[in-house]
Amino acid sequence: MIAIIRLVFFGFIGLTVVYWLVALYSRSERREKLEKEFDAGGVEGVRDDYIKAGLDHYEHGLRRKLIVLVYIIPALVVIATVYFVDYQ
Amino acid sequence: MQKMKWAVWIVVILFVAAFLHYELPRHDIVRITNTYNRLTTVGSENSWAYASPDTGTAESTVTRDIRFIEAVFPDNSVIVYRNEDTGWVWPPYFKYDSSNLQAVAGNLKSTEAAPKWVSVTHYGWRFPFLSIYPNAVSIKEVAGPNATIIPYVTIVVLAALALLLFMVRRMWLQFWERMVDPAIANAEEAQDRVKGFFGRIGAWFATWRRKS
Repeated sequence: MIAIIRLVFFGFIGLTVVYWLVALYSRSERREKLEKEFDAGGVEGVRDDYIKAGLDHYEHGLRRKLIVLVYIIPALVVIATVYFVDYQ
Repeated sequence: MQKMKWAVWIVVILFVAAFLHYELPRHDIVRITNTYNRLTTVGSENSWAYASPDTGTAESTVTRDIRFIEAVFPDNSVIVYRNEDTGWVWPPYFKYDSSNLQAVAGNLKSTEAAPKWVSVTHYGWRFPFLSIYPNAVSIKEVAGPNATIIPYVTIVVLAALALLLFMVRRMWLQFWERMVDPAIANAEEAQDRVKGFFGRIGAWFATWRRKS
């Protein structure tokens, strides 16, 4: 019983690190894309405002929310493994 | 230098391949001949290939009862599996039904005259000189000695690892491109400015030197 609590505890810590890394990466990719879009020309307004607006939009988008899968997929894999190894 | 680099890479790849070969599930088509438990002493040289002390089936680190399953391949060579819980961390099979598995194995015992062929999913290696045994994870009856087993789990795990490696590389490159390179460029620019400042002082002093 202690072992499973330990797994959940350390797994949560580890996945939180992964979550932040993926979140930073994803945001960085989006920022780069916005910068390139603006620099390609044809966009009205100030560069920083355009990028800020784009990132605000990203923060509320689906892609940002999908990063939660970092927690969900490993949990599902563990549950599936337990099921197939111990209950089949 | 180039040769050193290659040597290091080859060693790394061999280690990773051996590690994956040890940890990933494989399937044997065998006939079970005997199941038993035996008081086994685990030494320092082979304890890495046994369950760690805090899993369900292993209370003592040194000497304990371990369940074994003996089996025969279609070509009459033999194999012995151990049957231990893996616990909740490593390797991540989350196996805690060793007792049930032993019962399943006992039930599927058969003789050469009336063989029952089973597929034993296991991980690990059998090294007699180290006294290590692969750990049986699950046992399923199959039609015959020539049954084909598609290793779905191994395929999925290897694909996931490849994807993970690819993503880590992309994240690393992105981090380098967006954070490190600009920082280096800034530092170089700052250094140029410093050089410019002292360079100007140097140039100013130079104007005081006697022209030759």
